[in-house]
Amino acid sequence: METTAWFAARQELPPNRRKLLAIGSFVLPILIWCLVSYVPFLWHPMVRISDPGAVDYFQADMLVDKAVFQAELETVQTQGGALPVGELSNPIYLPPPHKVAEAFYTGFTTPPASKDGLWLHQSLWQSIQVIFWGFLLSSLVAVPLGVLAGTYSAVSRLFEPFIEFFRYLPAPAFGALAVAVLGIYEGPKIAIIFIGTFFQQVLIISNTTRKLDYALLEAALTLGTSRLKLLRHVVIPGILPDLYRDQRILLGWAWTYLIVAELIGTSSGITWFITQQARYEHFENVYAAILMIGIIGLGTDLVLAWLGKRLFPWDKPANKQ
Amino acid sequence: MSSSSGITGFKQLLRRTVLVAGLGLAMVVEAAQPIKIGYSDWPGWVAWQVAIEKGWFKEAGVDVKFEWFDYAASMTAFSAGKIDAVTVTNGDALVTAAGGAKNVMIIVTDYSNGNDMIVGKPGIKSLKDLKGKKVGLEIGLVEHLLLLNGLEKAGLNEADVSIVNTPTNETPQALASGSLAAIGAWQPNSGEAMKRVPGAKPIYTSADEPGLIYDVLTVNPVSLSTRRADWEKIVKVWGKVVTYINDPKTQPDAVKIMAGRVGLKPAAYLPFLKGTRLLTLEEGKQVMVKADGFKSLYGSTKIVDDFNVKYGIYKKPQDLDKAIDTSLVNK
Repeated sequence: METTAWFAARQELPPNRRKLLAIGSFVLPILIWCLVSYVPFLWHPMVRISDPGAVDYFQADMLVDKAVFQAELETVQTQGGALPVGELSNPIYLPPPHKVAEAFYTGFTTPPASKDGLWLHQSLWQSIQVIFWGFLLSSLVAVPLGVLAGTYSAVSRLFEPFIEFFRYLPAPAFGALAVAVLGIYEGPKIAIIFIGTFFQQVLIISNTTRKLDYALLEAALTLGTSRLKLLRHVVIPGILPDLYRDQRILLGWAWTYLIVAELIGTSSGITWFITQQARYEHFENVYAAILMIGIIGLGTDLVLAWLGKRLFPWDKPANKQ
Repeated sequence: MSSSSGITGFKQLLRRTVLVAGLGLAMVVEAAQPIKIGYSDWPGWVAWQVAIEKGWFKEAGVDVKFEWFDYAASMTAFSAGKIDAVTVTNGDALVTAAGGAKNVMIIVTDYSNGNDMIVGKPGIKSLKDLKGKKVGLEIGLVEHLLLLNGLEKAGLNEADVSIVNTPTNETPQALASGSLAAIGAWQPNSGEAMKRVPGAKPIYTSADEPGLIYDVLTVNPVSLSTRRADWEKIVKVWGKVVTYINDPKTQPDAVKIMAGRVGLKPAAYLPFLKGTRLLTLEEGKQVMVKADGFKSLYGSTKIVDDFNVKYGIYKKPQDLDKAIDTSLVNK
């Protein structure tokens, strides 16, 4: 009985179990990370030198392969001399969770080192603005176009073939062009987010519009509605909850273009922080910054989902509980 | 009724968006006032940060705005005509010019003095040991030139090694993978390669051929001719910067400012500064005298020019008389 309750095909679980699993989905990867980081025999392929001993090229805090350390240790043992000392460690690109947590905190509390530098929260705010404008401008055009294309075949036939073609062109490829046209500040960055989002957005929304039950349109047309009224009173209200869900997914899509967008023009936003820290191998800061993006993204999505439930109380899939 | 209010709201939003976009455009036009210089993460260029934070440009009465870029992005912005000047190597100044964005080198900020290296894996003790082996570096960039220069001195030539095209920031991993005998990279990548492969050593560096790689401030010729007085002031500020960094009394403060720009601790930044030989205006003057060989910017740039043509980076040799303007440092 118990197992059928946990694994019943396409049956929703009771709320407490759902919550448990949702927490588990985050705890599980963190647990694996902790195990790999804190239990030495699981992985730890490197040795961090604490005392170089008689090995001439070793230095304190240097990371070497376990095999290299072993070989040098044996050489010193046979030849005599001070033995090198070190402890097992993971490669530099896998910092332990507590280091990342620490970096997450100190990232926000460290004042900018340069006079014209920015606090971390200011950098994040820059990134959020780039996403906001890119997504807003894209939506302003793509949503109406998508709805029209989904309703009228003529619009769809005129625009969609080209959009289908264009969506395969990688947005970052337009970087230099965007700089030439839009300058070096936010303009080209917003343009990359736009290019990365727009074409998918039109297609997804036109597809969503096409899924609207034709019986509804037929009924309205039978009652003699005009074209404009059909859109305003039937099509748009009919697809609104799905449209909203699409937009939530597409907003996440826009975030994935952030890093390439911010590499264009002047270094700015969270990307400046990530690339600069990665260049000098401060990976705990890199992970912390990636984590921040994830938290902002998930946070926004949760808020939007909550808002969606209140905006569209009639929408079944969002309210299946 | 809710939908109609939604539409008015939407219209308002649209109007506001157009307004904001318009304002943005106006700001761009207005921002054309200060001279814009693009700089990036190399000690000889980060040095400008000292002048920025000390307010020396304002003191000199010149309106300058420095914009921080990734190196490649700074060249893109300059090529697109969005900034008035950019800090690059003399070789890349030529490449940029060949691509259509003509530029004039007015200051030699420094030459690489060990930061660029060919790093051999353990057992490779000199360039001679590379015979018949694989070397990973980015074809056409300065490390390629560095290797060829070294091979020639070691009595070898390019055919004696096989070059594997490897992006500079991936060279540490490439050397660690064990399939290459050596890599060519600049700091911090070269240092990282040595950290990652215990026993790996630099077998040839830019310190062995000072002047092979000069770093310069290069200016859009239009800006140089229309705002010559401003550029003269900027050149003067550079003199002040080098004095401040070289003076043992003020060096700690300078290093602190520079390390802050790149997000490092001062102590961690010092080695990078040591691998760069900053040039005072007086030294710059001597370098900017026409001569053959690496002691002269002309000589060095000629060698890079030949190299670039030979490797098809661009087709026609560049006019070096137009690419270098010595009159500002000599004023």
